[in-house]
Amino acid sequence: MSTTHNLSRRGFLKAGALGTLGLAAGAAALHSGRAHAQDPTPTPDGGHNGHADGGMIDMPGFVGDVDHEANRFNPSDTLTDFNWGDRVSTLSSGQTLREYDFFAGDKDVEVAPGILFPAWTYNGRIPGPTIRAREGDHIRINFLNGSEHPHTMHFHGVHPANMDGVYEVIQPGERFVYEFDAEPFGVHQYHCHVMPLAKHIAKGLYGAFIVDPKDGWPKKADREFIMVMAGNDIDFDGGNDLYNVNFIPFHYDRHPIKIKVGELVRIFLVNMLEFDLINSFHLHANFFYWYPTGTSLTPSEYTDTIILGQAQRGMLEFTYRYPGKYMFHAHVTEFAELGWTGVIEVEA
Amino acid sequence: MTTTPTQTTTGNGLKTWGLFLIPVVLLAGVIALFLVTSGAGLNVEPAAPIEGLSFERTILRAGEIEFHVRNSGPQDLTLAQVIINEAVWQFEVSPSATVPRLGQAVIHINYPWVEAEPYTILVFSTNAVPFETVIEAATVTAVPDGGTLLSFTLIGLYVGVIPVFLGIFWFPALRQLGPRWLMFLMALTAGLLIYLGIDATSEALELAAEIGGPFQGVGLVGLGIVVTFLLLDAISRRQVNVGRSEADQRLTIAFMIAIGIGLHNLGEGLAIGAAFSVGAAALGTFLVVGFILQNITEGLGIIAPVLKDRPAWLNLLWMGLIGGAPAIVGAWIGGLSYWPPLGVFFLAIGAGAVFEVVYEIFKLIQKDAAKRPMPLTLFAGVTVGMLLLYVTGLLIK
Repeated sequence: MSTTHNLSRRGFLKAGALGTLGLAAGAAALHSGRAHAQDPTPTPDGGHNGHADGGMIDMPGFVGDVDHEANRFNPSDTLTDFNWGDRVSTLSSGQTLREYDFFAGDKDVEVAPGILFPAWTYNGRIPGPTIRAREGDHIRINFLNGSEHPHTMHFHGVHPANMDGVYEVIQPGERFVYEFDAEPFGVHQYHCHVMPLAKHIAKGLYGAFIVDPKDGWPKKADREFIMVMAGNDIDFDGGNDLYNVNFIPFHYDRHPIKIKVGELVRIFLVNMLEFDLINSFHLHANFFYWYPTGTSLTPSEYTDTIILGQAQRGMLEFTYRYPGKYMFHAHVTEFAELGWTGVIEVEA
Repeated sequence: MTTTPTQTTTGNGLKTWGLFLIPVVLLAGVIALFLVTSGAGLNVEPAAPIEGLSFERTILRAGEIEFHVRNSGPQDLTLAQVIINEAVWQFEVSPSATVPRLGQAVIHINYPWVEAEPYTILVFSTNAVPFETVIEAATVTAVPDGGTLLSFTLIGLYVGVIPVFLGIFWFPALRQLGPRWLMFLMALTAGLLIYLGIDATSEALELAAEIGGPFQGVGLVGLGIVVTFLLLDAISRRQVNVGRSEADQRLTIAFMIAIGIGLHNLGEGLAIGAAFSVGAAALGTFLVVGFILQNITEGLGIIAPVLKDRPAWLNLLWMGLIGGAPAIVGAWIGGLSYWPPLGVFFLAIGAGAVFEVVYEIFKLIQKDAAKRPMPLTLFAGVTVGMLLLYVTGLLIK
């Protein structure tokens, strides 16, 4: 009802109208109604959405479910889907060659139940496949642009200029081979670098690029997860309407990530958020070791909340001591209620 | 539109009907062609979906928010998600999340809203088109029971009835005035009414811009003004043709002014009731006093034509009720079942009525001026009338 403001004479009139109520002794009904509203606790049986067991109020969240089958990707799978190479071989130099096939495409993705987002994707999924290699491996990426728009693949890492995916724009239907050594070790990303850049990233052209140290990470993790944080600008107004980990908002809230007490969990965390300056990660009822960019084997911090600017990333390691359900979410809390919320379910 | 009634032979009648039917049959053919060929060569699919959603009514109960929405777009629309103050919130829609063109739906949300705080609500369609509405100050929406009806009655009483009667109470004093002052008062009334008419038109147009496309707000305003004007004009001409005394005619004009002001107050009451029921009204006793000050002039306007005469007190009572009481009815309708297109229409009717009454007053003035021209008095009266509303408006806004 936005019909009632800035109307001049009526604006005055309605103000006058309420004044009369102040004078009127008979306005009991409205006043009692107001007193009621001071404590707007819904009736216990008002929980019609599956959160009734919680008792208090509705939790933020979607109505309905995203059709992951139709999307052809599921964030629950993305979480542990590390691609060590579509083809792996050894070069004559003894260096390991990891080859990957990538294509860019246009695709409608159901981003929230009922809402289709005309996305641009790598290999039909968002985030794109998580490329994983060891430091010093040789990476070869056969890229085909199957989209109707020009795209590239720009890797964060160390490589020659012509492999940087900025000035060599790949037109629709064209191919390009990106080739470089995986370095330095750490948590990195790749994304399209065609202008306007924010648009190409927000449309879905990004993914994680994990480079393990030559001898692996010092601690052996029981579980490794990839989490790419981003936003969803579903109405294309240059601002995010929803926020997510691995593209579908609230996914891990509806489908908790299951781990066990005592397991060492390693999360590779990448912030691919556009339009908003910072993002964050907060873990409930626990602390984690934080390795910024994953480029050092010594954690910089033992904390439960980490702030990340655009394109910042790193590695978390933690262990849960007690069983139960624990939230993790952006402690930029408005992001949390707009989709960047998940649950880790720790089993005994 | 009708066939000529003088042609009585059935053969001619049939032929006329047949001639009328030819374009209708051709029209049906053209529509069928469009439907069968999906556009008959025209590309009728828009690049992006065009959707419209009007929020017609907001109802707040403890822990609940309910929106009555209407699909004002050209096609069916499906509601997908709701965001309240930057949080995705669960909701239910009845009868269906898919709303047909011009169809209605009720969105029900359990939300722990806080008294007096503002809320911005975004409803996303499946095409990711966002529709926004604002609750300016949350408060429990009035429900129709004895207490609320009394409250709205009191609102109407203060807004309409009391000011009008206060104005009418000047009757004995004003009767002492000479002809020049009477002319001045008539002109002043015209000035007041012109100002009210312009104000009501502007409000109707503002509200018209907010209602959905299919309801053609501006057209509705035109319809309300023109039809009301012509209807009142026709009524007054009939009264004159009946051939009564001039005093009777002046009484009729006074009643017409009362009707005009009454219709205007109906629109005002509607807007007040609607604003009040969604908590968009601010508290302020001094504003009420200012309001009475401004609307006292309405009562003054009603009695201006009959100051020379000796109308029965009962007539004055009726005029006061006709002029003021519709504010009560308006407050009821607006507070308990507000529908914005209806608000637009009532405001337009009020404007049309007020303009017609101005026309009647000028006819009356013309008659007097024929006997004794007083152009400067006329000018001064209209100017003072308009300024009066402008200045009292300044004081209370």
